[in-house]
Parts: sequence; C-alpha cells; structure tokens
Amino acid sequence: MKERKIKIKTENLEVYYGEKQALFDVNLEIHEKEVTALIGPSGCGKSTFIRCINRMNDVIDICKIKGSIEIDGKNINHKSIDVVRLREKVGMVFQKPNPFPKSIYDNIAYGPKIHGITKNKGELDNLIENSLRKAALWNEVKDRLHEPGTSLSGGQQQRLCIARAISVNPEIILMDEPCSALDPIATAKIEELIDELRETYTIIIVTHSMAQAVRVSQKTGFFHLGKLIEFGTTEKMFKNPSNNMTQDYITGRFG
Amino acid sequence: MNLGIFTAILLFCIFSYFFGQTTAKKLVTNQNLKLKTLPTYYGYFVALWCGIPSLILFAVWSLFEPTIIKTIVVGKVLSASQIEAGLTTNLIYQKILSYSAGNFTGDLTDTIKIGALAYAKITSLAYKAKLASILSLASIGFIYAFNKVSKNNNARNDVENILKWLLFSSSVIAILTTLGIIFSLLFESIKFFSSINIFDFLFGTNWSPQKAFVRDASAITAEEYLEIKDAFGSVPLFAGTAFIALIAMCVAVPIGLFSGIYLAEYASYKSRRTIKPIIEILAGIPTVVYGFFAALTVGPFFREFGESLGLNVSSESALAAGLVMGIMIIPYVSSLSDDVINAVPQSLREGSYAVGATKSETIKKVVFPAALPGIIGSILLAVSRAIGETMIVVMAAGLAANLTINPLESTTTVTTQIVMLLVGDQEFDSPKTQSAFALGLTLFLVTLVLNYIALRVVKKYREKYD
Ligand SMILES: Nc1ncnc2c1ncn2[C@@H]1O[C@H](COP(=O)(O)OP(=O)(O)OP(=O)(O)O)[C@@H](O)[C@H]1O
Ligand SMILES: [Mg+2]
Repeated sequence: MKERKIKIKTENLEVYYGEKQALFDVNLEIHEKEVTALIGPSGCGKSTFIRCINRMNDVIDICKIKGSIEIDGKNINHKSIDVVRLREKVGMVFQKPNPFPKSIYDNIAYGPKIHGITKNKGELDNLIENSLRKAALWNEVKDRLHEPGTSLSGGQQQRLCIARAISVNPEIILMDEPCSALDPIATAKIEELIDELRETYTIIIVTHSMAQAVRVSQKTGFFHLGKLIEFGTTEKMFKNPSNNMTQDYITGRFG
Repeated sequence: MNLGIFTAILLFCIFSYFFGQTTAKKLVTNQNLKLKTLPTYYGYFVALWCGIPSLILFAVWSLFEPTIIKTIVVGKVLSASQIEAGLTTNLIYQKILSYSAGNFTGDLTDTIKIGALAYAKITSLAYKAKLASILSLASIGFIYAFNKVSKNNNARNDVENILKWLLFSSSVIAILTTLGIIFSLLFESIKFFSSINIFDFLFGTNWSPQKAFVRDASAITAEEYLEIKDAFGSVPLFAGTAFIALIAMCVAVPIGLFSGIYLAEYASYKSRRTIKPIIEILAGIPTVVYGFFAALTVGPFFREFGESLGLNVSSESALAAGLVMGIMIIPYVSSLSDDVINAVPQSLREGSYAVGATKSETIKKVVFPAALPGIIGSILLAVSRAIGETMIVVMAAGLAANLTINPLESTTTVTTQIVMLLVGDQEFDSPKTQSAFALGLTLFLVTLVLNYIALRVVKKYREKYD
C-alpha cells in the first residue's frame, strides 16, 4: 500500500482537565483518506484525543492543551485559526446519536445554511439528497423529510448525524464510538458506509470492538492510561503487535 | 398545660421506642428467635402505636375543649344570675376569661366571679380527664404493639404501612384545605350572584361598588337593584390587571430571558454561582418594599419626566406599577429559563458546534427552540404571579377603576379592589363586600387556567428529553 499524504500530525500532545492529566505526550501521524481506529480501555483518553482535533474541548472550561496538533501542516491551536472554519472542515459524529429536535430536512440543512454553502433552494435540496444518499439513509426517509429527526430509529438517527456531518463537506470525520448504541444490522450498515466514505474523507473512529477496528480501519492506535502505546497498520497491530500490553488488550486479557 | 401533655406523649414515645427495641434484641439473644426485621423497626413500631393515636386524641380534644368549656360555664352563669342569653353572654365570657388569666380591669361583678370559679373548676377537671385519657390511650397502643413484638411479627412492613398512611393523611389535609378555600369563595360568590346578575358582573364596564354600600343583600328592592346593578361591572378591573401585567411582562420577559441565557450559556461556572443568587434576592424582597419604590421613586420620576415633555402624567400610573412589578418578576423568568436552557442536552450544542456553528448561532437555532416550551411555561407562571400581585398596585397604580389603555393614567386591578372592598369592613352581607369574593373566584379561575397550561407545556417539554 502506498503511503498517502499526512493529514493530521500531533507532537507532544498533552491534555489536562484541571489538575488531572488525561493525555501524555501523544505523537502520531494520520494519513489522508484512510480510516484510523483508536482502541483502548475505558477512560484511557480516546475521546479526549479526537475532541482535540476539532477543538471540541474548547467548550470545557477546565480543559488545557499543550503540544501541537497540525492539520495540513497548520497548527490548529494557533491564534490565527478560526475555530468555526476548523470545525466546518473537521466533522464529528458522536457516541449517542444527537439529531436536533427539528425535521430530518432541517437537521441536514442546518450546517449548509449557516455557512451559505448553497445559493438557492434547489441546490440545498440536492445537497440534502446527496448527503442522505452518502449516509445510506435516503431511501428510508425520502418520503418523510419533514418529520422530526428524533422520530427515527437509533441506527437511522446515527446515519442522519453522519449525513449532517457530511453536509458541510468536511475533509476529516471524527467518529466517537458511532455504533455503541446500535444493533448488529445497523452497525454493519454504518461500517459499510465508513468504507465508502474513505474514498473522500479522512476518518478517525473510536471503537471498543476489536472486530470493528479490523473490519474498517487501515491504521490502529492503542491508548492506555492516556498514553499512545502503539500505533501502526491494523494488520500488523492485530497479527503481530510489538507491545505486550497491546497483545494483552486485543486478546481480551484486560480492559 | 397542653405543653405538659405533649411532652408526656413525647417522652412516652421515646421510652416505648427503646423498650420495643431492647425487647426485640432480647428476644433475639435470649430465646434465639430469628426476627424478620431489625430491632430498630420494633422500636419505631411500638413508638408509633403509642404516639399516633394519643396525638390524634390530643388534637381533637384541644379542638373541641374551649367550646365545650364555654357552653358549660355560660350555662352555669346564666342559671345563677338570670341574665338573658344573647350577645352579652359572649362579652361576659370574655371578661371571665381575662379575670381567670389575672389581667382583668374594670367592674368586677358577681356574675364574673361565679363564672371564674366555675371556669377554674372545669378547666382543672378537663385537664385531668385529658391527661388520663391520653395516657391510657398511649398505654393501650403501647401494650397492643408490644404484644405484637413478642409474637415475632414483621414490624418492618407495619412501620412502612403506618408511614404510608401518615404521609397520605398529610396530603389529604393539604387538599382539604384547598377545597375549603375554594368552597368559601364559591358560597360567598353565589350569594353575590343571587343579587347581581353574573353577566352584569362579567361584562359591565362600570365599577363603583361604593354605591351599594350598607345595603342588605337579601332585601334589595327592584328600584334599588336597578340603581346598583351597573355598579359591579368588573371589566375595568380585569382590563387593568391585564394591562399592568402586560407592562410587567414587557419588562420581565426580555431582561429575565436574556439574563437567563447569559447565565446558562456564557457565564463561567464561578460567575454563575455569584450572579444567580444575587438575581434571586430580587425575588426575596417583600412586595411592600417594591411598592415604596414604585410610589416614591418611579412614580414621581415619571411624572416629572412627563411634565418636562409637556405630558400629563398622574403620579399613580399603570406604567410605574407595571415597571416595578416587571422588575420583581425578573428572577422568576431568569431563574426558570436558566434551568430550562441548562436542561437542553450538551450533546445538542456539541452537534451544532461540530458542523461549524458559532455560539450565538447554536443558541439561536438549536438551544432556544429546544428550550422554548419550557421558557413559555416559565413566562406563563410569571404572568400568573403578576396577576396575583397586589401591594405594588395598591401603592403605585391607584384605586380609580378607569377603563383606559393610557399607561400614564392611574388604573386599578382586581386584587387591589378586593383589598379595598374588605379593608375595615366586618360584615360580609352587603353586595359590596360579597363582590370581593366574586372577584377572587374569577381571578382564581383565571390563574388556575394559566398555571394549568404552564404546567402542561413544561411537562410536554420534559417528556422530550428524559
Ligand atoms: N469533562 C471532563 N472533565 C474532567 N475530566 C474528564 C472530562 N472528560 C474526560 N475526563 C477524564 O479524562 C480521562 C479520559 O477520558 P476520555 O473520555 O477521553 O476516555 P475514553 O477513552 O473516551 O473512555 P470511554 O471509552 O469510556 O469513552 C478520564 O480519566 C476522564 O475521567
Ligand atoms: Mg469516550
């Protein structure tokens, strides 16, 4: 497999919640148009890590970040970076589906309207259809676009949230355990979807399922107690991990 | 005396608690019985059985005792001194009471002395009887419960049941009191409506009840009725109420809502913790103080300001009252909307930030719509608070029942008029005083409907996120 361009790069990344340090010296490089899976026991800092990439941690008063995170070679914590633009470029799908209490249509129209992406209603309609198609939801909801998004099933809601993330045409999509609330069929659909989205987007997915990491990702990172223990190709990581802790974790001996 | 009895019951309860508990413990250790519950429960069980019946008896006895004693004393006095029963007996009885209490001044007559003697005898007898019967009831309860303990009974469930009934009866008392209030309103209003047509009351536009002063409601002639039937049109009052409430809401809703949004979304945890209590102090200021402020500061200020513009502003104006009332209501709106906005899940905000929305876009397009039902609920609650407010209006908006929409004129409200109708009057049989109850009833119904709607709205909102 040929090495792709580096999209995200962190150097000496440390995160503190007040006094408590949640991430220790994380250095890693994520390549464009690949799926990177992050695994590790609960509380090891996976969510903290991906929330740094779209600066979602800014919302938390007590959260302090040290070290650098670069996207396309630019430090995203630099003063000159507009966090709103950054988040437009780095979409996020959350663990629990969180559709707005609006119609399905408005849920997806929300982002494009804010950024003025479309010029008229026709363009907006097209964009919404495309986003829903990419999220593999179009066929299920095309006749009920004006029903509330909250009336969908859990799996459909999660795909709606993926469509919402896609709607502003991001370059990176962060997914924090997107399937943890879903049944196996919905999970399979979303995994299939991730595989397709990889053609266009750089994806980071946090997961607790080893099988899922193997199925969807090309690279895997293993976190433990706030440290990045091992990072490499998924194949190597699961066949022949270089660290004993990784070995123990993926074979289910702890965590 | 009553305090003594009460203490006795209490001591008995404490004693029976420990007695029940230790007995239960002994049963466990000595006879090696396996009790179904912890010994403490046996303690509670015995104590409750000892305390509750005797306390109930105590309450009932204390309730009827004065009346019974009075009847007996008055009977004695009457038979001894050939006074006719009538209004004076009440007076004499009052004198007997104060003589017995040792603070009597005035003519000491034989009648009073006889009465006081009888009174002293009967009270001491009553006291003994009360003490004896209460203590014996407590003992019966104690023995009954104690017997049950030794029979290895399941005290935990019994205590549970007793507590359930206790709590239940408390809520019944609350409900009965409310019903009592409603019925007293209802009966007086029915009397009023039997002399004044309900439609004249609800839709008449002229309010001047002083016309109907000192007239016996039950004996109004046809001519008299024609004369007073126009005096009880409540429209100006309800219009005044609505008008002042509207002015108040114009002040309270924007300021309260915006400060609520600030508190919930922008203030840091620390400043929120200081600012919120300070705003809530506003809610703790007595309304009379707001009344001073409105009447002495705001009212004159508007008058002078109006004069400098060449406007004729009365010093008691709807504007001054409404404005100050609005300030009073700010904390209700801000506190409730702060709570409601806080209840909007953080995940919705994050979802909005994640597509690149700014904070104010997120608030405007996601948080506010999601919180809207709850905000409306809080506003409706504030409205019913405004409608019920009396003191500020009495002091700052005047008493004249003008049907006006000029905020610079004086106007009046329902609650103010109720106060005016009843102040200084002891007899409740003229249409004038009875009309107060009709007003009260109507106002009660209006606020009831408002509160009902508010609660429904708030509830609907809750269901959405839980
Ligand atoms: N808002 C916060 N305030 C304080 N501490 C936090 C906060 N969020 C996370 N932490 C702490 O940071 C550490 C890492 O948490 P994080 O949520 O990143 O773990 P995680 O790997 O995502 O776990 P999980 O798999 O359970 O989601 C934990 O010890 C947690 O207690
Ligand atoms: Mg997590």
